[in-house]
Amino acid sequence: MSVRGTHIPEHLRLPIAGVTPPPTEKEGQRLFPTGNFRFFRPVYRDKTPPCNHACPTGEQIQKYLDFVKHDRYLDGYLTILEDNPMPSVTGRVCYHPCETACNRAAHDEPIGIRSVERFLGDFGLNLEENPIKKDLPPLNGKTVAIVGSGPGGLACAYHLRRKGYASVIFEALDSAGGMLRAGIPAWHLPEEVLDKEIAKLTGLGGIEIRCGVRVGSDPGGITLDHLRTGYDAVFLALGQDVGRRLDVEGGRSRGVLGALEFLRETGLGRPVKVGRNVLVIGGGNTASDAARSAVRLGGGEATIVSLESEDELLIVPEDLEQAREEGVRFRPQHSLVRVIADGEGNVTGAVLCQARLAKDENGNVRPQISEGTEFEVPCDTILIAIGQVQVLDWLPESFTERGLVKADEYGRVPDDSEAVFAGGDVMRGPSMVVDALGDGKRAARDIDRVLSAQPLEPDGPVEVMPYERLNTAYFRHAPRTPVPLTPAGTRSKSQKVEVTLAYSREEAVAEADRCMSCGVCNGCDNCYIVCPDISVMRDARENGRYSIRTHYCKGCLVCVQECPTGCLEKVPELDFDEPDAVVRMETAFAPYDGAHAEQAPFTRQLIEDAIAEYDRSKTVQPNGRGVTP
Amino acid sequence: MAFEVHRQHLPLFEDDGRAAATDDEHGRDRHYLPELPAEDPYAAGHRTCAGCGPAIQYRWVLKAAGGDTVVAGPTGCMYVANSTYLCTPYTVPWAHTPIASGGSFTSGMAAGYEAMIRKGRYPGPFPNIVVMAGDGSASDIGLGSISGALYRNHDALFVCYDNECYANTGIQVSPTTPYAGMTTFTPFGKAIPEGKKLPPKNLAKMMAEGHPHCYVATTTVGYPVDLMNKTRKGLNHVGAAFLHCYTPCQKGWVYQTSMTVELGRRVVESGLWAVWEYDPEERKYHYFHPPVQRPVTDYLAMQGRFGHMLPEHVANMQVAANQNWQDIGMDVPQNLRDLEDPERHRRLKEEEYSMPLNRGVGA
Ligand SMILES: Cc1cc2nc3c(=O)[nH]c(=O)nc-3n(C[C@H](O)[C@H](O)[C@H](O)COP(=O)(O)OP(=O)(O)OC[C@H]3O[C@@H](n4cnc5c(N)ncnc54)[C@H](O)[C@@H]3O)c2cc1C
Ligand SMILES: Cc1ncc(C[n+]2csc(CCOP(=O)(O)OP(=O)(O)O)c2C)c(N)n1
Ligand code: SF4
Ligand code: SF4
Ligand code: SF4
Ligand SMILES: [Mg+2]
Repeated sequence: MSVRGTHIPEHLRLPIAGVTPPPTEKEGQRLFPTGNFRFFRPVYRDKTPPCNHACPTGEQIQKYLDFVKHDRYLDGYLTILEDNPMPSVTGRVCYHPCETACNRAAHDEPIGIRSVERFLGDFGLNLEENPIKKDLPPLNGKTVAIVGSGPGGLACAYHLRRKGYASVIFEALDSAGGMLRAGIPAWHLPEEVLDKEIAKLTGLGGIEIRCGVRVGSDPGGITLDHLRTGYDAVFLALGQDVGRRLDVEGGRSRGVLGALEFLRETGLGRPVKVGRNVLVIGGGNTASDAARSAVRLGGGEATIVSLESEDELLIVPEDLEQAREEGVRFRPQHSLVRVIADGEGNVTGAVLCQARLAKDENGNVRPQISEGTEFEVPCDTILIAIGQVQVLDWLPESFTERGLVKADEYGRVPDDSEAVFAGGDVMRGPSMVVDALGDGKRAARDIDRVLSAQPLEPDGPVEVMPYERLNTAYFRHAPRTPVPLTPAGTRSKSQKVEVTLAYSREEAVAEADRCMSCGVCNGCDNCYIVCPDISVMRDARENGRYSIRTHYCKGCLVCVQECPTGCLEKVPELDFDEPDAVVRMETAFAPYDGAHAEQAPFTRQLIEDAIAEYDRSKTVQPNGRGVTP
Repeated sequence: MAFEVHRQHLPLFEDDGRAAATDDEHGRDRHYLPELPAEDPYAAGHRTCAGCGPAIQYRWVLKAAGGDTVVAGPTGCMYVANSTYLCTPYTVPWAHTPIASGGSFTSGMAAGYEAMIRKGRYPGPFPNIVVMAGDGSASDIGLGSISGALYRNHDALFVCYDNECYANTGIQVSPTTPYAGMTTFTPFGKAIPEGKKLPPKNLAKMMAEGHPHCYVATTTVGYPVDLMNKTRKGLNHVGAAFLHCYTPCQKGWVYQTSMTVELGRRVVESGLWAVWEYDPEERKYHYFHPPVQRPVTDYLAMQGRFGHMLPEHVANMQVAANQNWQDIGMDVPQNLRDLEDPERHRRLKEEEYSMPLNRGVGA
């Protein structure tokens, strides 16, 4: 007996019934192309997840979280490296605009993206061989000069190398890393991690870092013209490493230091002596880092004196909380009036007064002092953290504007060569590591375009997937995996102990699992299973491998509705304003051609053949009965 | 001499019983379906309406059952719409039975295969024998024959796909049509403003209580893995098994075609359909407790067949739902308790309710 296919008894094999081709899984019931029911067609179209959109390097976060979910760590690592050369750095210090933008915040709590990034970064750092090295293109003979070895410069060199360009990075300090070394303290970013990330880049071949070379300032040293003439293009990523000075009486006493200089010396392994009673003037991240380092180095107390109120402080929330746990004190809405020194010029105290943060029409800080509220506090060290600038007098005047290097939307500096680009803090003012990394990436892309005579073009528009368009029925509430921290008592005694610790493998996977894959197909198979018409086809459970069998899809849109991520959407099938554009499908049982459908030639043929067959069988056979095929 | 009857054993999929989300082997929480069988013995090209709930159920049951399966279908949409001109969409043997005889026909198939195997006339193993009957057939016209088959414990899976009406003949009332559900035989009007006065027949409980040796379960098209697992459990169970499945009918209920699966979840989340499993060994019911409890209006307002409901009708429905919550061992939150009061309602058309995300009207 036949186990497959419609079994039709002999006596029922009449012309039409008799030609019924048995359906197959692959072909379906071909006589009924039910696609002609359809008014709308489901279409797969990935959107940009907000995390990805918010990351200045454009990290494909959803993609690598998905790899982590499936224990494919190397693939995840390689995905990050497409956009960001140093996930072990950003995984520790990035201010994570991605998490701020994450849709999951509207659901319960944002994904701990930075911690998963760090997990993958450290996974990669521990590999024996840099996995991208073997696939690099050979060097194309062109070399780019880069000034500054901070994240901006390093990222530019890295992305250029991936495109086949060599680069030489000029760095004024004795070691590479920019603010990653000379600003961000080791308890945020250990030196060994930074060293390894940089070694990974220089190990690619074609990236040379020349330390101890300050471009432009040393007489007889390297000048901008050297770079313009000796190299194919120039990228300026100078950062802003000169602390703003505060002009107050006694400001030159011994014990008054710039916070940046203090952090730089500490970062370069030349710890500065601080006292046990430290005042830090300023309300931003530099103030916070300086205060926390001062607690660690001096073993005493540190107080942050700021114009900003508690709510206005420009310190990222987790840092603020950690600083508090470590005993850093705050004196918001105060200003330094005068420094008190002893006979030998050593700081012994400060006069403060109540004040408020105010800005003039240009956005410059203009403190509003409350007269008559002055009072004295004792202290032995004062660290000034009221902003930073850069020395730009060695650059042509046309390059600069209000203390920054000016550039067009491509980061290109107005220069006849059309091949001088800038990025990072020197272009933006104080910003983030990841901004500098993004600028470096974009500069590499645009330098490549300029050097290969392609036009510079802005990025195309993207569609960012909002939370409201996810099918949240599929995402149960699950709390964020907490990031482990070293206890405050332990960490506040050491300049080296890392404050923020790593996710374990299990934690990283659990956190990646929370990702809702906003707008991007992640092969969950939901569309595949909900279709009543077996019209969602896929040869593998991977993004890009799903398709709609329009021959049968009736356009019910159940698949579209049930897609958790929203990558599946509907488009109108027919243009009703254009009657001629109406597509008529072929079906077997149209009463006549063109009524509401056409009879398919193949069915017409089937029927004609069957009638012929039937007629033949009616001709007398030896046993008196027709033989059915 | 008698040959032994070898039975198939179908492994279960991993599932925590909730929507399409599932745990993987590490016990992680993720929205990612387990690997599903590639097989689809219910093939494309069938002529049900766009978004048909019974069609989804047919597909999942046969996917879970696999290729070594024999199917019977009593008269109803899933017979008529699927086998016009003798063109069926099944790649496995399938037979139509009269509407009243799904149970007896299937008993005969099961007994027949057993006998043939024992006599060495069929090489085996014993095929999966499935009958899928509509609610009209299973709870009304053919109830006696299905009950007989369950009572005699034939080794087959008896599925009732419940679209809460006689759909194929044009949406007439059936015993499972919900209170106030409008059909062509229960129109609303001055005399009977709620349309349908009677509460629905509790078919699955009747089957479990009445045939305590059978595996009995309920599910909906909102929970694919649950439905496929219950299919497999029913088939693995040696003896008769009954699966009652909620399957929205967009034509009969008047809703947007895209909402079929959403309704399959909402009916459970509003307390109007209990998902459970009856274990004949322990003689116990295991109830699924949905993660969300919502007012009945969230469910009713999505369907045209309830559009005429007046405040007191909606309140009656909430009373019934709250009773159901207690029956399955869940607390009734105060907000749902409060909604038992007709004063808290307006006509259903004017009620406020939470619509699901809507990605568009289909078909
Ligand atoms: C204390 C502190 C803490 C911070 N913490 C964080 C943090 O946790 N997370 C975060 O995202 N961002 C943080 N930032 C901001 C971040 O460090 C900067 O936005 C980022 O480093 C800018 O990168 P860049 O490449 O533009 O410049 P930089 O990192 O500043 O690097 C510029 C480099 O250029 C060199 N250079 C300058 N002029 C010349 C010249 N003429 N010739 C040769 N070399 C030259 C400098 O020596 C320096 O090494 C912090 C900043 C500070 C000051
Ligand atoms: C004895 C008998 N009475 C009436 C009919 C007419 N009839 C054909 S299909 C159908 C509806 C069956 O309803 P249900 O079993 O719920 O299946 P549905 O159409 O809803 O899928 C009816 C009443 C019939 N075929 N046989
Ligand atoms: S849930 Fe995932 S894809 Fe969506 S924004 Fe957050 S990290 Fe990105
Ligand atoms: S569920 Fe199937 S029939 Fe419905 S729109 Fe999607 S592909 Fe088409
Ligand atoms: S009338 Fe209802 S049950 Fe019948 S094919 Fe249409 S949607 Fe399915
Ligand atoms: Mg029915």
